[in-house]
Amino acid sequence: MDFIYIIKRLFYGVLLMLGVVVLNFLLIRLAPGDPAVVIAGEMGGATEAMLESIREEYGLNKPVLTQLGIYVANVARFDLGQSFFFNQPVTTLIGHRIGPTILLVLTAQILAIVLGVVMGVVSARKPNGVTSAIVSVFATIGYAVPVFWTGIMLIILFASVLPVFPVEGMTSVRLRDAGLLVRTLDVLHHLVLPAFTLAIIYLAQYSRLSRASMLEVLGSDYIRTARAKGASERSVLFKHALRNAALPILTVAGLQFGNLISGALLVETVFNWPGMGRLAFDSILRRDYPTTMGVLFFASFMVVIANILTDLSYKLADPRLRGR
Amino acid sequence: MSRLLEIDDLRVTFRTRYGEVTALDSVSLHVDAGETLGIVGESGCGKSITALSVMGLIPQPPGRIAGGAIRLQGEDIVGASPARLQALRGAEVAMIFQEPMTSLNPVFTIGSQIAEAIMLHQNVGADQAFKDAIALLDRVGIPSPDRRAHDYPHQLSGGMRQRVMIAMAVSCRPKVLIADEPTTALDVTVQAQIFDLLNEIQRDFGAAIVLITHDMGAISEMADRVAVMYAGRVIEEASADDVLDFPQHPYARGLIDCIPALGRPDHRLAEIPGVVPPLHLLGAGCAFAQRCAHRNDRCDREKPSLVNHGRHPVACHGAEESRL
Repeated sequence: MDFIYIIKRLFYGVLLMLGVVVLNFLLIRLAPGDPAVVIAGEMGGATEAMLESIREEYGLNKPVLTQLGIYVANVARFDLGQSFFFNQPVTTLIGHRIGPTILLVLTAQILAIVLGVVMGVVSARKPNGVTSAIVSVFATIGYAVPVFWTGIMLIILFASVLPVFPVEGMTSVRLRDAGLLVRTLDVLHHLVLPAFTLAIIYLAQYSRLSRASMLEVLGSDYIRTARAKGASERSVLFKHALRNAALPILTVAGLQFGNLISGALLVETVFNWPGMGRLAFDSILRRDYPTTMGVLFFASFMVVIANILTDLSYKLADPRLRGR
Repeated sequence: MSRLLEIDDLRVTFRTRYGEVTALDSVSLHVDAGETLGIVGESGCGKSITALSVMGLIPQPPGRIAGGAIRLQGEDIVGASPARLQALRGAEVAMIFQEPMTSLNPVFTIGSQIAEAIMLHQNVGADQAFKDAIALLDRVGIPSPDRRAHDYPHQLSGGMRQRVMIAMAVSCRPKVLIADEPTTALDVTVQAQIFDLLNEIQRDFGAAIVLITHDMGAISEMADRVAVMYAGRVIEEASADDVLDFPQHPYARGLIDCIPALGRPDHRLAEIPGVVPPLHLLGAGCAFAQRCAHRNDRCDREKPSLVNHGRHPVACHGAEESRL
């Protein structure tokens, strides 16, 4: 892998994050009224002394460009300010919740890609067959149904009709003192419904995409070559075709990462999953602006990282994109 | 005596939106060990379908082998099990395709693609297969083959890629090598090199070659015997010299008149007026009648069959009635 390329890509990532920070800063300026009051939020009894200390901390009594400089410098030190609702530094708040969110988002992403690709490959093998039709119907429904509705339906199903999966939270209180293995399994058990709910839309997309991509690849000359040398049908599908069909899937997976994070917000709210989505939801309801913007910053950070990883893996998967 | 490869009264049909059309109509051909059979004709005359039938690679559906037999060393491979066809493909019958630019899988190294063919049919490990692949690359004239084996197809020129295809096709010393317009996509100097290579390979490996082309120059250089095809039928068959010097069928004569002659710059090239009729519009008569200067009523009514009227077999009423 090209070392310089990675450095360059990381540099662009930093630039992009800088843009996000500036936008963040502008957003807070765009909010009507005194920024100090906005930052203090709906505290009700925000005293003049408190507002003064906020003005001092954010340098609101200085020119706008200086303010921007101070804000950027703070963010560069991962200092995103103080949450007035939770009365904790925003960085600490997010630090506690970023883990569950990453767990949920990555599980959903992997679930969607693996299941989606398998469904796509199976239906591409016989594009006019029954399996293909079932996959298509499933994909259409999965894509059309809103995430929160799927979540609520699953909660109804598993809370009353078929109580095999927990429908709320990430851990069971009664297992708090159990061993590590038991607690890990407990988290995974809690993960099933939220991850599946979040995955279902993308699962539908990936199955359609990989079906189309496989159909195109299966018609290409090198697939005929593979058959002509006597490769088995399984090898033709999973080795010769899928490696090529995976390239567009990889691109879309990278692009979808941002949507996945915003989808996580809804899913975490529905399933009371203690992640960043819940934090964003709570902070928006409470007009806790520093927290909202902290979440925004970290979500953008994750998307930028995901895009860098996608680019790198794309180079890894397609030799034509590698430098000589 | 049983032939090495014998196609007997083969009929292949395709389901299209115009109904079922006959792509191959009672085609009978044979080729013996060490011999080169040329199949010539315009695009759409059934040359490639004949080749794909022998490889067992007719897409079914929409294609269907509606009748006849393809005997490889006496074994009828029409209706052979998929497993049996897989074992034959690449090992006993191998094929070189028209499009070297797209016939190699872009995501695997050329060495591994050749090694795969070797491992599919010979009981050797991956390391040995890769070594054999390097030796084959050397044999087909790829410079510094041990380094080139790690290259991907996009790093090679068209001529080099066709050499790789040839190396792959001969890797298991097949008895029959089908070359479907192997030089069409290459420039003229490279064409001659590829034909030389095919001749050498045939001498070394003793394979029978079926050369499919519309290039009469290639035929005169390579072929021992020639079958001229038109609209899914063989219309003339004889030794290459005989067909080139004494073509019987008006269509074969037309093809030969299309060869430009050196040293006659004022000579206007002949052409055959019209195009091959769409297969679904073929009537009861001779398929060439619409374009033939010598036709009469019988040509419109009755399909001529391949009969020897003196010199060699030809399917033409005019030749039978000696009115050409």
